[in-house]
Amino acid sequence: MSQDNGVHAETGATSANNANNASSASGTTGATGATTDASLASRAKNPKKHGPKWWLISLIAVIVACAVVIGVTVAYGKKSDSADASAKNMIADTVTIGLKLAPTNLDIRNTAGSALDQVLIGNVYEGIVARDSKNQVAPGLASSWEESKDGLTYTFHLNKNMSFSNGDKLDAEDVAWSINELIAKQYHDADALTAVSKVEAKNADTVVMTLKTPNSNLLWTLTGRAGLVFDKDAKYDLKTQAVGSGPYTVAKFVENDSITLKANDKYWGKNKAKTPTVVVKYLADDNAAVNALKSGDVQVLAPITETLAGPFKSDSANYTVKAGNGTDKYVLGFNNASGSKLADKRIRQAIRYAINHKEIIASRGGADKALGGPIPSLDPGYEDLTKLYPYDQAKAKSLMAEAGYSTDKPLELSLTYANIYGTELGDQLRSQLKPIGIDLKVNVVEFSTWLQDVYTNHDFDISLVDHNESHDFYSWADPTYYFGYDNADVQKLYNEGVAATTDKERDAKFAEAAKLISEDAPADWLFNYRITTVTAKGVKGFPFDLNQTVLPLYNVTYSLAEFSQK
Amino acid sequence: MSNSHNNRAAITRRAYAAVALRTMWRRAEGKFALIVLALWLAVALVSLVWTPQSLWTTDGYHVWAKPSAAHWLGTDGTGADVFSWLMAGSRTNLLIVLLTVVVSALWGLLLIAAMVARNSALASTSVVVIDALISIPTVLIALILAVPMGASIAVIVIACGFGYGLNLARVARPAALLAARSAYVESALANGASGWRVLVSHIIPNNLPVLAVQLSLSAGTAVLAESGLTYLGIGVPSGVPSWGHSLATSVKLINVFPLTVLWPGLIVTVVVVALNVFGDVLRDAIDPVANPALRQTAGSAGKEDER
Repeated sequence: MSQDNGVHAETGATSANNANNASSASGTTGATGATTDASLASRAKNPKKHGPKWWLISLIAVIVACAVVIGVTVAYGKKSDSADASAKNMIADTVTIGLKLAPTNLDIRNTAGSALDQVLIGNVYEGIVARDSKNQVAPGLASSWEESKDGLTYTFHLNKNMSFSNGDKLDAEDVAWSINELIAKQYHDADALTAVSKVEAKNADTVVMTLKTPNSNLLWTLTGRAGLVFDKDAKYDLKTQAVGSGPYTVAKFVENDSITLKANDKYWGKNKAKTPTVVVKYLADDNAAVNALKSGDVQVLAPITETLAGPFKSDSANYTVKAGNGTDKYVLGFNNASGSKLADKRIRQAIRYAINHKEIIASRGGADKALGGPIPSLDPGYEDLTKLYPYDQAKAKSLMAEAGYSTDKPLELSLTYANIYGTELGDQLRSQLKPIGIDLKVNVVEFSTWLQDVYTNHDFDISLVDHNESHDFYSWADPTYYFGYDNADVQKLYNEGVAATTDKERDAKFAEAAKLISEDAPADWLFNYRITTVTAKGVKGFPFDLNQTVLPLYNVTYSLAEFSQK
Repeated sequence: MSNSHNNRAAITRRAYAAVALRTMWRRAEGKFALIVLALWLAVALVSLVWTPQSLWTTDGYHVWAKPSAAHWLGTDGTGADVFSWLMAGSRTNLLIVLLTVVVSALWGLLLIAAMVARNSALASTSVVVIDALISIPTVLIALILAVPMGASIAVIVIACGFGYGLNLARVARPAALLAARSAYVESALANGASGWRVLVSHIIPNNLPVLAVQLSLSAGTAVLAESGLTYLGIGVPSGVPSWGHSLATSVKLINVFPLTVLWPGLIVTVVVVALNVFGDVLRDAIDPVANPALRQTAGSAGKEDER
């Protein structure tokens, strides 16, 4: 009864729209709402005693209106600004590039990781020789060189009038000092120069390198960190600064975020920087990277997955999407050590027959290339070995049957790989190996765990990793490497190839060894990963091939006019 | 005699449950919660014996496909059927939720018992300890557990059970204390009742409404935690279907295939809302003070007892 009273009074109040009535009504509600049971009363939901606070609502409305007006003004104001800029200059002063893996510091002497090679070599630091986009040796600080017949002496002829970005002269002294220092202090990559006995400056523009044993890999090695030339007289903190002879200098370095490169106005060579400022941004998160490209924060994105690049592909009026060649090998490494479940060659072969490489590549967007052996197409000794183990489930089944396994009595194997490669590959492999009688348990772990368990402790059945290094064929000739592959013939061929004095001889030996390895099936090579790059319309001169290790930026330009015409 | 008493108690309990269910069903949000939870249970059971497509079929040529007759919700990045994976995921999530609720209930009750203990040193220390422990985020506990255990369901259950148990204990403490210091408990103790008996027959029943709300909140949060931890790679291991797995694999491509993210996201949202609503409705339904129908049942049962 009392409840009814309250409700009735309140509805009457709202319809009457009378202040006096309303206050009396709310008073009645309060008085009549009470029940005899105190605990029930405390739980009963009290109706609102006051009407809406009109002054508060109108205040909020005013604030929202102001915010909208300010927001619209700011947004449009910005747009007209950038439109003005694009009308004034055709070529942008700044190009921003989005990359993925960030270096922790700039110390290229000590810090591992290809992120440093990518941004610094060829742009800030230069080597005695350079590497082109086909992974071949090209002239760098040395314009030419000669190799003695026995392959033990290399004579480099340097360019004239070279200088560092701080104005110091660059001559043979600096070259010899840099390489000797690398060997003496065992800086990163010093082990690639173990064959070198001494490096001497013969005169201001001639450097002579003497070797203990011939090494057909030497020149290529010198295109990387081993051949970089530093200023002998400069004193600076290598971790945060860089003094090199390249077309760019490091203006600003923000850890895990960005590197700002400014054109080196003292640059000596002909590869002068075309864009005054290049900002390299590191975007670890894929979605953030895509948004940065869409909003125009970056003009280039490399790498991006083929699937994520889909929308840009269909918007070809504004973006260019292209996959470049590279040396990334997705290696499904088997544990070849004796005592391992995979010491049985039939099982290893069965796995290789059972994997449908074409399907895996198709699921990743189709940019990658099939790879049948340990050497990718950009490395010496490459040969198409994909025909050795074609997709053949029947053959795989019969090999497994020989080894004593079937779908009813499956072999349990574990696959361990780092979570950076995504879960899809493991899921696909599990379902491809299921029909031949392999029960694959997939452990997707942190990269550090992979390093610990697989790489260091060799505690695994099957591992999956992207071996992105170029010229890393040595790992198959090293029985202590994590897959524990020990084949005397391969080791002999490899050593002969390294000692070869001509490239042709080296390539032949490596190719022969690679075929032996592939036939032995110590691993399966899922595919040769090709890096997909997206550039906004108007960006020119950005390299697509091999751009995760060799990324010359001097040629990159961005014309705003083209972009604004869209 | 005791047998007939037990029988009668069982009958009363069943009557209580029926009344509570009916009360919940009468409210719109209660209907929603009950239907969603019943569906969840049904789908989880069906997925044990049947899914539209085998979970282990992958098809590299048809990844990220749009919904079609063969794949009702499309396919994921390996070409597997999203609908089948979500169906199978429901059973993993159900298991995780049930285990988490059990662990957090046991752990929480243990802590409540310590906090309302007659030994004042134990009581006050446990209050301080719980206040300190509650500051450790669940995700951090999970990350630490994942180091020795790797990605596993146990990581989620232990981390969530531990964290939510602490919350439960802290929220329930006032009501528990009220019961523990009440006149009827004092008289029970004076009559020689043990501490255990007081806990089981007085403190827990008096806390049931709070427990219901807290545990159903924990259940909802456990579903969210499963998704979050699996996304971080320390939850459900690879190859075990779960909603978090479906979310984690598709969320990277939300810009390109937003539809594939939508399904698991929608399911998680609906289930979490249902669980939270369920807790509220359950509290109202099993609390004799708030539910007059329950009082009537109790009254008639009491009369039967007297007879």
